[in-house]
Amino acid sequence: MGIDGIILMDNNGRPIIQSGFRSTSPAYPLVHVDAVNDALSKALRPQDVDPVIHVPSLNIGDAPSACCHLQSSDVRVLCSISGNVDPLFGFAFIQTFLDILQEYFGTVSAATLRENFDTVYQLLEETLDSGGHPLTTSPNALRDIVLPPSLLNKLLSVAGANINTTINSGSGLGGAGGPFSSPIPWRKAGLRYTANEIYFDIVENLVAIINRNSVTLSSNVFGKIEANAKLSGTPDCILSFTNPNVLVDCVFHPCVRLQRWSQHKSLSFIPPDGKFILSEYRYAPNASRASSTVTPASSSREGVTLPFALKPEIDLQDYSASFNIIFTSRLTAKSIENVLIEMNLGEGASGIKCVASRGTASWAFDSQKRVLKWEISNVPPSSSWNLRGSFSTPTIAPRPSRALQVHFDIPTHTFSSLKVDQLKVSGESYKLYKGFRGRSTGNVEWRW
Amino acid sequence: MSIRAPRKGENYELSVDLNSEYREKRKDAIKRTIASMTVGKDVSGLFPDVLKNMQTDDLEQKKLVYLYLMNYAKTQPELVILAVNTFVKDTDDPNPLVRALAIRTMGCLRAEKIIDYLCDPLQKCLKDENPYVRKTAALCVAKLYDLKPDLVLDNGFLDQLLEMIADSNPMVVANTVAALTDIHVSAIGSGASSEDSGYFTITTSILNKLLIALNECSEWGRVAILNALARYQAHDEKESEHICERVVPQFQHANGAVVLAAVKVIMIHMRKVHREEMTRQLVRKMAPPLVTLLSSPPEVQWVALRNINLLLQKRPDILQNEMRVFFCKYNDPLYVKVEKVDIMVRLASENNVDALLSELKEYASEVDVDFVRKSIKAIGQTAVKIDAAAERCVNVLLELINTRVSYVVQEAVVVMKDIFRKYPKTYEGVIPILCSNLDELDEPEAKASLIWIIGEYANTIDNAADLLGIFVDSFTEEAYPVQLQTLTAVVKLFLIKPDSSQAIVQRILNTATKDCDSPDVRDRAYIYWRLLSMDPAAAKAVVLAHRPPISIPRTTVAPSLLEELLGEVGTLASVYHKPSETFIGKGRIGADAVRNRAELGDDQLSAQKALQTVAAGQQAENLLDFDDASTIEGQPSGLAATGILSQTPAAANIIAGTSTNPLDDLVSIFGGGDSGSSGGLAPAPMSFGGGGFGGMGQFGAGAPGALGTAGLSNMPPTPATAKPNMHPEQQEDLLGLF
Repeated sequence: MGIDGIILMDNNGRPIIQSGFRSTSPAYPLVHVDAVNDALSKALRPQDVDPVIHVPSLNIGDAPSACCHLQSSDVRVLCSISGNVDPLFGFAFIQTFLDILQEYFGTVSAATLRENFDTVYQLLEETLDSGGHPLTTSPNALRDIVLPPSLLNKLLSVAGANINTTINSGSGLGGAGGPFSSPIPWRKAGLRYTANEIYFDIVENLVAIINRNSVTLSSNVFGKIEANAKLSGTPDCILSFTNPNVLVDCVFHPCVRLQRWSQHKSLSFIPPDGKFILSEYRYAPNASRASSTVTPASSSREGVTLPFALKPEIDLQDYSASFNIIFTSRLTAKSIENVLIEMNLGEGASGIKCVASRGTASWAFDSQKRVLKWEISNVPPSSSWNLRGSFSTPTIAPRPSRALQVHFDIPTHTFSSLKVDQLKVSGESYKLYKGFRGRSTGNVEWRW
Repeated sequence: MSIRAPRKGENYELSVDLNSEYREKRKDAIKRTIASMTVGKDVSGLFPDVLKNMQTDDLEQKKLVYLYLMNYAKTQPELVILAVNTFVKDTDDPNPLVRALAIRTMGCLRAEKIIDYLCDPLQKCLKDENPYVRKTAALCVAKLYDLKPDLVLDNGFLDQLLEMIADSNPMVVANTVAALTDIHVSAIGSGASSEDSGYFTITTSILNKLLIALNECSEWGRVAILNALARYQAHDEKESEHICERVVPQFQHANGAVVLAAVKVIMIHMRKVHREEMTRQLVRKMAPPLVTLLSSPPEVQWVALRNINLLLQKRPDILQNEMRVFFCKYNDPLYVKVEKVDIMVRLASENNVDALLSELKEYASEVDVDFVRKSIKAIGQTAVKIDAAAERCVNVLLELINTRVSYVVQEAVVVMKDIFRKYPKTYEGVIPILCSNLDELDEPEAKASLIWIIGEYANTIDNAADLLGIFVDSFTEEAYPVQLQTLTAVVKLFLIKPDSSQAIVQRILNTATKDCDSPDVRDRAYIYWRLLSMDPAAAKAVVLAHRPPISIPRTTVAPSLLEELLGEVGTLASVYHKPSETFIGKGRIGADAVRNRAELGDDQLSAQKALQTVAAGQQAENLLDFDDASTIEGQPSGLAATGILSQTPAAANIIAGTSTNPLDDLVSIFGGGDSGSSGGLAPAPMSFGGGGFGGMGQFGAGAPGALGTAGLSNMPPTPATAKPNMHPEQQEDLLGLF
């Protein structure tokens, strides 16, 4: 019952590292790897494979199991579950484990996993019990028991010197207080910083669908408050907003006192050490009505104003098509960054010719996914850009996708214009530096 | 070690390095040994050499050695015994990490010989001052129980665990609960205890401790505690309400698994809450966290969508105003899109139907054939569901037919047939347009649908005889469903216009009885022939009988099963939309669940009955799958490939038409006994769409005689058939599929 184990697999479907699978037969992980590879090879597109795969058992006596899997860069992570457990339990664990790997190695790729296999093994041991229960997954606590590969180690191996030094061995383990002795599970006891600082990033992601008449069909803003705390001792923070009403459907880090939120709409918490996500929320523009929780938030109708306009003109002819796409920023003060516009040109598209209007914009064609990508790294306020081009197809009627995908970033901007009123810290007497920043990203589907 | 490896090669070099006098070299060699182990090389020969490195102050090295030990303990149990002393010594180490590591590793070794040495250190570690050691030891007890239950009972570990529920550290509480649950489940599985007198019966005082620990422990601990709470039998309504109130805040946890586990607890304890207002409030709070999960990666979205789909069947009103959240994006994976469309249709009402239709029309122009078909089906479902929108739906379908894209036209024809069945004699003006696309149809289902329409409206179509003539000419080359439909349509034509169609009916009865391979077709032709020759009036009463209009199912699973599944929200059962028995099988957990259910009250009995039929039906269904390759084609995923689950939730929905679920068929056919309110409802919804595979399995495996009855497709509903709600058309479909 529970999570039987986790397998990290490379792009060729071969396992790189897997957890112990000590309570199952040795064939068990192999059956799961096979089942996933099998499903992948049968599917037309790998992303269309059902995320939970039913795995029949090898022996008649055993119960069949299920395999949750997802792709992260060039690694596919499999999580075997048996019994009637929540598949989300598996997915949540995979995500947590990937976050830990990210934290430890900077990137998650087949290469880094192979390179640091000893650390990965130790992490697997510490995070997942052989009986199927996740153990320690907070990066804070893990750092105490599994040492991250040190920079020096990395430098040496990059330089080609194959000396695995044991510089870190036994570094202060079992020292003051010992691990896991803190009364607050998410925070270590006795932390000391010379400069005390805490930063908050408010990151909002706009997900919207626009129809061919430039009417917003659906738009949702999902926001996150990311925090990075480097504070000594046990500070008690109270974060209040001038317009907390824009936040609906909130979820919080366990450190947040839920009662304070429901009574005073302020976040009261003792922060974990380091990076964490304080809260996630949905922004509903007509908040005054929605926040009363009498009606479920009906945010979609009015939506937020889009920061840009797109005018795609696509002309389909026999065996070919030409297009002219105009991208205009609607912002008057801020610039939009990292704009990426994608269009799937359909089966067999070839002979792509494009002209991007200005020097700083570029285009590329991914022949494997048949996706045309148009990138503009910086769009100044109210500027207008265009991409003109054509392509040919082997079939008489070209079938490019009916929608363009637009991704973008806007630094120092939030859709909700959520404002922090103040951050009060009690319990500690030192002066601290506080920082707040807003940032927006967007994924918009624009149909034509 | 009498036989040593040869004095060369990789393993020899490793063994030299493992015995090196330099610490660093030894550690490096251990790493290389583990690396070899990872890629599958046999390094078991190095066991003694690795063992020598076990006693060290370097924790990292210790962990690596332990890792090696755990890997080879199964194959080399007699060597592991050499390590016991170090293990026992380590459990006294001043460093709590080392103590925890040692006790954890000893629990994992699963070697009989080690176990006897485990008890004393475990006793100590359960009382360790450090919570990290205590929580590790708690889980170790569960593992010990798995290997030697007697040792756990004899040493009183169980009582110790029960005491530890009151531990001051919430993480220890959570792990203790997890360990106790594991022991409880495996004890029941092996028959050592029953649900009543289990090793982990949750009493009121334990309940309170759990509710306190719930808010303080880690996300995984919360899931464990919530699962334990789901098992608790509340004494009265007040207690149920109390549990619900305490669990609701968990909806605001960032981890989706916690949210779903909380939803499950609420769904279970809500059954005892009779205050309507309270129930409504709880359900309302349930929706937003599920919607928030839609901003997650597609895999998580899918799980959330499957659960939302289930909740909506019970409470269609919870997400009324949120349909737009479910609009599909071009880049969504197919499995997400299919679920979203399903939910959108569920949320359709007169207020939002225009937005829904324009959206579905948009999807119908996409490239992905499966998804296009699904969208067109959804248009049909909308038309059947909302009377006021039917005309708009028909117009959209006509626009789609005008695109002349082959698969779009064919699917639209199939859907039009269903609209005719819901609104007879309403959209006859469409028929000429449909007939003009006759040449483009090449799929049996589309052909059969069009033929049914022609037969049904033979009196208004002037050239019906000519149109049907085309199919009569190619009769023997057509698929069986098309043959059956042609046969029925021609007979209908004859009964409506006896003068002009005498020749064609004679011809088809001749061909069908003499040249046809299928016994179903032959039988049906014989029956028609005899009816027509004996008593034309009776034939008219049978063939042209009035049929009740179809309706869209409010639920894709039988209502009693739905209630069952809602108690398992956030588990595999709720994702598969199947009771857990069907996929967990005869294992220990299955036995647990069955026993569990035996204690439930009368209101659960019907659910139980449904489950039994489902289980029986699915076995029959499997038998059939072997010799019928056509049902397997196009099922892309692993789920579908399984014997027991012969239908993928996502992919097969496309194939089976609407989200028809074979369970319904089975329940409707076999569950005739429990008809009453619940059984009676099930068949009616099923008549929409293409019919399920499951039902057919039943026909085939059940009784050959049933085929004959089903063949009489246009039998007027009589009490004798025991399936009054089954629409004749559906029976034809069912037969047709096989």
